[in-house]
Amino acid sequence: MSGAGVRTNGLALAAIVAVGVVASFAVHDAVTLDLAFTLLLYAVLGQSWNWISGYAGNISFGHAIFFGCGAYAAALCVTNGVSPWIAIPAGALAAAALAVIAGFPTLGLRGHYFSIATIAVAALVETFVRTAPWLGKANGFELPIRSGWAAMQFPSKGPYVLLALALFAAVQLATIALERSRLGYYLRALRANHAAAASVGIGERRTKLIAFAWSAVIASVAGVLYAQYTLFIDPPSTIALAVSIDIALIGVVGGIGTLWGPAVGALVYVVLAKGVALRIGGAGKGYDLVIYGAIICVIAALRPHGIVGSIVDVLRRRRGAAAPDATIACAP
Amino acid sequence: MEALSTFLALLAGGVLTGLVFALVAVGLTLIYGVMDVVNFAHGEFLMLAMYATLGLALLGVGPLLGLPLVALALLLFGIVVYRVFVRRLLAGPPEATVFGTFGLLVLLQGAAQALFTSDYQSVPNPPLQGTMHLGPIALSEATLVEGAGALVLTAVLFAFVEYTETGRAMRAVAEDRIAATLMGIDVQRVNALAFGIGAACVGAAGALLMLSYPVFPTVGAGFALTAFVVVALGGFGSIHGALLGALLVGLLEVFGGFYLSPELKLVPVYVAYLAVVLLRPQGLLGRR
Repeated sequence: MSGAGVRTNGLALAAIVAVGVVASFAVHDAVTLDLAFTLLLYAVLGQSWNWISGYAGNISFGHAIFFGCGAYAAALCVTNGVSPWIAIPAGALAAAALAVIAGFPTLGLRGHYFSIATIAVAALVETFVRTAPWLGKANGFELPIRSGWAAMQFPSKGPYVLLALALFAAVQLATIALERSRLGYYLRALRANHAAAASVGIGERRTKLIAFAWSAVIASVAGVLYAQYTLFIDPPSTIALAVSIDIALIGVVGGIGTLWGPAVGALVYVVLAKGVALRIGGAGKGYDLVIYGAIICVIAALRPHGIVGSIVDVLRRRRGAAAPDATIACAP
Repeated sequence: MEALSTFLALLAGGVLTGLVFALVAVGLTLIYGVMDVVNFAHGEFLMLAMYATLGLALLGVGPLLGLPLVALALLLFGIVVYRVFVRRLLAGPPEATVFGTFGLLVLLQGAAQALFTSDYQSVPNPPLQGTMHLGPIALSEATLVEGAGALVLTAVLFAFVEYTETGRAMRAVAEDRIAATLMGIDVQRVNALAFGIGAACVGAAGALLMLSYPVFPTVGAGFALTAFVVVALGGFGSIHGALLGALLVGLLEVFGGFYLSPELKLVPVYVAYLAVVLLRPQGLLGRR
């Protein structure tokens, strides 16, 4: 990303934050605030997935387990009288450790072998949670109701939107930094051609483990926020395969390996899938899945680089410049 | 004696379960072998087949009589899906096939939920509800017929791929797509047929499964996950491998469910997958 690119992206982010802050104070409609919170939370989760699956190219279908680390950390802290703010580092540590344990053997697997391994690992984690009494088994946790910033719980939805906005902004800034960092270049090089990247001394396992761990940390912080927002968590709402699929689909729709892809994907997800489901007759009837599945199919068949990826392609073609990735991807 | 007959019953149950898994998995592995696509919607094809069988049963055509009809319907469905959709995915980047078939999974699950609700539904008055005694072990007739039917159909598929001209063309495309084109093989036609036959396998498996299972929109997910494990165990693209992997997974699941607990029955299956892909990534019978 060039200096001008950073400035444009920074300005866009600042504009979103400004609008979000004003909205979190000015808007009192619970449904709108709920949509805004969900949108920001999904954008963060999509970006977390994007770090390992977009930039590094290891497509994960088990990302919800890291989201679950944060959600369960919050539940355990709050039910034991510990501040939920402690749950942020605690959940992040747990998520990073889980990412290293799960990633060390599997990150070297290619293509679908890795994707299926993430499904297997996530299923094992879910089985573990569903059978561990200290994790609430299949029943999950109901968090006791408190109020105020110290308890990270609020009677209105505005402060939650503010917190989600802060997290979103931090994650977007971290991703801008990633794109310009050595780690970011290494990841894209590995994705384009792992053999060529290895031949110039990029250690695949080490590089991807770092990205995987950070990706897990981001998802876990979102998990803490989610638990504090809903005050109820159980396996289906946090670690189930369905949640992992939602996270991956958000990343794909927007465009994998792009800065704004996850945010756009989350927007499409929230507005189209949830909005339409509400209008046609509530969730759980499958209409949201039909629409969302159809969008994925159309994008995969006609615009495989996602919405943002396609816009970037068009802009580049207009400028007549070669895609920067192409300089890495020229082999073999 | 008690322990021995339990063991034999579990063994027989594991083998019979494994044979049904094999029929689901050979479809997946055929598609993968010929065109390098992991069909993530494979379980949803199975779900469609089970609903189709249910529909026929409600019209008075039982699962066994309906089997050829359902298999034929899935064959046509698979060909259409290939011609309209998968063909385009193959033109894109490699991850397009993963996302695309995943999108199909979501779409089909949603459609089933919208059309048939999330309720569990079974064939009314299913045939073969008796129990057969073979020496010390008792097996339900439905399970026996499911296993035997799956074995016969897997063998038919194997013979087709191994001994017919079309099967030879499929193996040629699997071996080297460009060389096959140069030999005058129409790769698109072979791909479409392989996708259709892969779907027909789950069509037949779905009809057999309706003898003893209920159908619901997410029924395929469990079977598909198992099929991925089976195919990875046996080696992606290998039909013998799928049969061997399926028998192993069937035994692991049945013994795991009995000796650990029903909740943990899939744990040995997933651990086996991880062990195989890490220690022998080409699978038990696959080639690198």
